Amino acid sequence: MQDTRPTTKTFTMALLGNPNCGKSSVFNQLTGLRQKVGNFPGVTVDKKIGQTLLPNQSTVTLVDFPGTYSFYPTSIDERIVVQSLCNPEDPNYPDGILYIADITKLEKHLLLLTQLRDLGIPIILALNMSDMAQKEGLEVDTKKLSRQLHVKVVKISGRTGEGIDSLKEEIGRMIGQRDAYIAPQPLFKMTEVERDAAEAAKEIVPDANTYQGLLIAHHYDWLPFLSEAQRKLLADVAKQSGFESLRAQVDETMQRFDKFTPIVRSAIRTQSEGGESTTTEKLDNILTHRVFGPLIFFALMLLVFQAIFAWATYPMDIIEGFFGYTGEWIKSNLPEGWATDLLTDGIIAGLGGILVFIPQIAILFLLISLLEEVGYMARAAYMFDNVMRSFGLNGRSIVALVSGGACAIPAIMSTRTIGNWKERLITILVTPFISCSARIPVYIVLIGFVVPPKTVGGIFGLQGLAFMGLYLLGIIAALFSAWVFKLILKTHERSFLMLELPEYRMPVLRNVGLTVWEKVRSFVVEAGQIILVISIILWFLASYGPSADMEQARTEALATAEAQNLSEMETKNLIASRRIEASYAGHLGKAIEPVIEPLGYDWKIGIALVTSFAAREVFVGTMATIYSIGSEQDEYSVRDRMAVERNPITGEKVYTPATALSLLLFYVFAMQCMSTLAIVKRETKSWKWPIVQFVFMTALAYVAAWGAYAWLS
Amino acid sequence: MVAIVQQEQPLSATPRGTAGKVSHFNDPNIGSKLMAMGVLPGSQVRVVRKSPFGGGCYVKVDNFFLALRKEEADSIVLK
Repeated sequence: MQDTRPTTKTFTMALLGNPNCGKSSVFNQLTGLRQKVGNFPGVTVDKKIGQTLLPNQSTVTLVDFPGTYSFYPTSIDERIVVQSLCNPEDPNYPDGILYIADITKLEKHLLLLTQLRDLGIPIILALNMSDMAQKEGLEVDTKKLSRQLHVKVVKISGRTGEGIDSLKEEIGRMIGQRDAYIAPQPLFKMTEVERDAAEAAKEIVPDANTYQGLLIAHHYDWLPFLSEAQRKLLADVAKQSGFESLRAQVDETMQRFDKFTPIVRSAIRTQSEGGESTTTEKLDNILTHRVFGPLIFFALMLLVFQAIFAWATYPMDIIEGFFGYTGEWIKSNLPEGWATDLLTDGIIAGLGGILVFIPQIAILFLLISLLEEVGYMARAAYMFDNVMRSFGLNGRSIVALVSGGACAIPAIMSTRTIGNWKERLITILVTPFISCSARIPVYIVLIGFVVPPKTVGGIFGLQGLAFMGLYLLGIIAALFSAWVFKLILKTHERSFLMLELPEYRMPVLRNVGLTVWEKVRSFVVEAGQIILVISIILWFLASYGPSADMEQARTEALATAEAQNLSEMETKNLIASRRIEASYAGHLGKAIEPVIEPLGYDWKIGIALVTSFAAREVFVGTMATIYSIGSEQDEYSVRDRMAVERNPITGEKVYTPATALSLLLFYVFAMQCMSTLAIVKRETKSWKWPIVQFVFMTALAYVAAWGAYAWLS
Repeated sequence: MVAIVQQEQPLSATPRGTAGKVSHFNDPNIGSKLMAMGVLPGSQVRVVRKSPFGGGCYVKVDNFFLALRKEEADSIVLK
């Protein structure tokens, strides 16, 4: 990847447009892989920045702003646009604007263009989807449009790449003569009251023009660059002059539509009359049908789920095998010592633990972004909005919840499509309750202790039913805690659905590929750092201890081995077992024993709880080490060994149904996954929410496990 | 097929296929957002179908489709 940091100040263009205008296709066409993701200051909105090379060899920086309908925002995403564009001193204030409009829906896409045009920033209008226009027999007289709007117009297709070169040439000309790209007169005529409010606001912000002043007068109550005194001043001005924001917004919108609609109508010639059923309508008769719609959705999600399970296994095995092999190889080729251990058991194991998630993330986003590109996801959000909303979630949350069944990490990353911050946050917080694939090995080991392998009703295996029960518990916990968060969390942001359902289109594979690449990259780079650090800490805890204890553990193990005449392998396993007992993790396990005793756990389970914080499936591996089964572990041999474990004092079996059920419930609810916490930190841009999540999930797990143990024993 | 509605009836309560031109919006907040999306007084609106789990509807406005919650749909008053 090329370094995309601007070395000197390059010409910066803001890429703007309505949602569904095909903006990201154009962005991808212009920048390719020369893009990176940052974020707008102070908020969790992602900022995509890319570089494009013009025919004259100069580079231009493109900033992709969130899709917006107008300067009167209803979500945090849209606010970013207003706050960056109404203040010439904002770090994201652009040198020029590239506005993308869907040529087939020109009338509704030009409102924001006319607003942007009045800012006094050089602007180019790109009419996107020229390929669709051709198919629909739609012709646009770009010269006429350009003349009447006083904006340069280029016809392009983000899908086929048509017109992209002439767009680049136009951008090149704009850099050469900026003034020619600024509209001479604002389209919108303010009333006297508006002008007074605008002039007052303009005084506060250096270099702002009158329309920027008007925007500040509209939005003074939330614009972050204003001081309290300035807010008060603007509130007073509004009061004195009788400036009513909402009324003025509506009037401005109407005036703009009244002015540009005739222009658009005169420049467009269309053959189709509209009114007849389109392909989209026919498809939606089935896909959003009141009964079939949700059924088809669940069938699709089942397919996605199956694909993740079926396809991800092979690459995951290869990745795990590779890192396991590399670790072994290094161990046998480098001198023994802490540095080799750190390299193999700390860093390489940690890296393996990160990279092993890539297949799941890549497959989920491949399928999800295909569905998104086609236009299906908006339908899913529409169908489930009402159900999800009663739990404080959003229609789009359904996708995250379903994907959480494979892995919470890509599921949490998929919540970015939820515009409302509160709804997105709740989705992020509750998604890890859904039983993910890493819980399966734990369930397999433990379920046999609770439920006998019987068949009921002739066909249903009791253990299978219990398995399903655990999944259901996770779903109930997710919905219930979502409902609790809905009551606790406060927001001033109003929640809307008002979702445009775009026409079904063939997916642009380039966009899908770039989405997958971006998701994988941001997981590896951003969450990966945290995961690596935690896994090195966990490695340290499990391999080191007070040196006297560790030495004693070793000598004792050797003595026992000699006395019992154990083989070399058995001796190694015994040493490993004694060492983990003497390690800091062992001490930690013993230290938390009083806390976990009411749940029916001993210190050995304590160690497994500590180490499986790295990832839940580590539970099985740790159990294997503690019971010195060695690396030849599989779920069933671990289970057989656990079944004969007895309490050294009472002589009773440790893994009674009560203990096993308590452990199962603990793993259903507890946040035993550092990778998820790392990704939550990345998505919420603060440590507050992963900590909140860890505390409430662990608390619920503790209470549930304690209740189950108390009830059964 | 096309029923003419009296404006007393909220849009979400009208049967599928109900169509008409937008007269005005009775919630100015929702109205201004709808206008920004291209639903204007004078736009042709048709209720295409209702949400599977109730509460919302799928409408066609001029040449595009919108999913609306109940209160969003109800703020639209047809002529």
